[in-house]
Amino acid sequence: MNGLKYQLKSIRRDKMCILTFLLPIIVGIAINFLSGASFQTMSETSFGVLENDLSDEAVLWLQKSGTLTQYENVDELQAAVNNPSTQVIGVLKSDDGIKTLLSGDELEVNRILGNALPEIYKNRMNELDFERTVIPVVHNTDGLKALLITITLVTAMFMGCTFNAMNIISEKEDGVAFINMVLPLDTKTYIIQKILLGFVGGTASTILTALICMRIKLCDVFPFLVLVSLSAYIAALIGLFVGHFSDGLMVGIVYIKIIMILFIAPPIFFYLVTSVGSIPYYFSFILPSSATFYGLMNLVRGQSQNLWVILFMLLIHTVIWSVVYGKIKKFK
Amino acid sequence: MWRGFSYLLKKDFKMMLSSKFFLLALCSVVLYSCYINYVYINLDQDIYPVYLYDPHNTQHIVSEHVTKVDTRAALEEACEDEYSVGVDLSTVTPEVYMLSSGIETTDYLRGIYAEKVVSSGVEEQAEIIGTNDKELKNRREITAEFLFFELSAVGFLGLAAMLFKEKQMGVIRVHGVLPVCKSAFILSKLCWILLSDVLFTILLTLINIGVENGISILPAVLIQAGILSLIMALAGFLCAVCLPDFKQFSLFYLIIAIFITTPVFLAGQTGIEWGWIVYHPMYHLFVGMKSAYFAAPAPAYPYYLICTGVIVLLFLFAHRALTNEMAKEG
Repeated sequence: MNGLKYQLKSIRRDKMCILTFLLPIIVGIAINFLSGASFQTMSETSFGVLENDLSDEAVLWLQKSGTLTQYENVDELQAAVNNPSTQVIGVLKSDDGIKTLLSGDELEVNRILGNALPEIYKNRMNELDFERTVIPVVHNTDGLKALLITITLVTAMFMGCTFNAMNIISEKEDGVAFINMVLPLDTKTYIIQKILLGFVGGTASTILTALICMRIKLCDVFPFLVLVSLSAYIAALIGLFVGHFSDGLMVGIVYIKIIMILFIAPPIFFYLVTSVGSIPYYFSFILPSSATFYGLMNLVRGQSQNLWVILFMLLIHTVIWSVVYGKIKKFK
Repeated sequence: MWRGFSYLLKKDFKMMLSSKFFLLALCSVVLYSCYINYVYINLDQDIYPVYLYDPHNTQHIVSEHVTKVDTRAALEEACEDEYSVGVDLSTVTPEVYMLSSGIETTDYLRGIYAEKVVSSGVEEQAEIIGTNDKELKNRREITAEFLFFELSAVGFLGLAAMLFKEKQMGVIRVHGVLPVCKSAFILSKLCWILLSDVLFTILLTLINIGVENGISILPAVLIQAGILSLIMALAGFLCAVCLPDFKQFSLFYLIIAIFITTPVFLAGQTGIEWGWIVYHPMYHLFVGMKSAYFAAPAPAYPYYLICTGVIVLLFLFAHRALTNEMAKEG
């Protein structure tokens, strides 16, 4: 316990370590500021109209189909339609209904809708002829936001890795590693202390980030905690691997970068491309972060199926990597 | 004085060569151009696919946007992507079938679009008022973005990496006793960074926008690139002098990348409405760059005045920080 106190003291001096833990929390706060509404408006079709130009009925009809912005004069409307960063379809009154303005650089979906809109408007009376079946799909959080939250949380968990690696490398550079060999400190205690540091930091950072940007059901809290602890433990352990294999700070940073990319990019790719239960899906469990990613994604989206399989996979990873690290240390 | 400056220039050029600065910039041009030409210009969002189940063949003319299916089950399966829309004409009352996309207005629009396209197809009716087609717009947009990100990173990191190397070698200490003024020390580095950024800008623009369109916008783009390059290089210089080691500096850079350039990118690119973004200094630089690429009217004079002021101020700060550092080093 006394050793741990000194470990904590040594962290207090390293501002970079503290900041690595604070970074995900700050990103979490930033994501929270991007409210769901602003993501939703992004995927809605947007129309631009002139003030007092269209009939009330047409305005109501457009509001039912997308977001509507009113402009004071034609120049402003044309500027909005031509603005390359938006996809506004300009709508004006015409003799027999409405006519539309397009800039010509729109995505296909908006180009075709803009072209078809006057006819659709004329057709609106026939809408009653069709019966509509809209099957509701559970969308707890916007897809993009859920993905951002999950990426932040996975990064937060794997911060323990960066932290441990940096800590060990700077010990090596400062020569503390040699002093450790002289001290009456056995390898086991040293490993436990180091893992504990990264683990506690990673877990705390993840839980704080989760509190800021995630709403989970009460029954999901326990699986969530297990998921976070297992992942943070693995991350801390990987940090020890990096620390073990790298001699200098620059080499360490390169290793950490590779691990970060390897741990965050493939799970996103597999998540987007594979379907649950397919062979590539199970294949992706080779990376511990995939399991973490899937588990978190399910929790963020409020689905708790498959969660036990994922936790079991993480447990296997935990055991395997602990044994491997123990063997390496002993071998040395 | 001038002789001293020319030797400083030679020294910095050699340092940049040895740190493979130019090679990295050239590699980035190749990488970005490949991405733009093979990936980005092909990005598009298709119109909602419409699937029609019409066993009695009531619709004789079927639009190119409609795909026919043979069973109701096939119709439902095709709609599982939450984007496609199905129209079932097998019953007395025709039915529009879809899985919700999560946004009510979009679902409504998908419905009325499908009804329209099944009954009479789509004609080109809108009036086109813009000058760019989609490909040219994509090219201008992404080139502006890449240039903005690259310039804000290269000047900042490149100059700092050079300076840290010199710090390690003790060059700063040596400079304290040399009969060369401190401004020359900063200026020679700035010259090279500016030159390399200008070359980078010209190459990236001409390769990706095309020679004809590229040359007409190049003067405006180069002015914006010059401003951005000088500001970021001076900021990098200042940080590198003040921060003790490269480790802390790279963290500082991470913060800049996440909190300074990303919001600007989001606001400038996606049309998210954030009122506060006008107080973000980098936002104006980004807008300036983007309007240069779209041949839009250039920012007003106050913008250039402020930029010049910032560059002069940063230069003075950098000069002062360097003097202090040299005094500290003895």
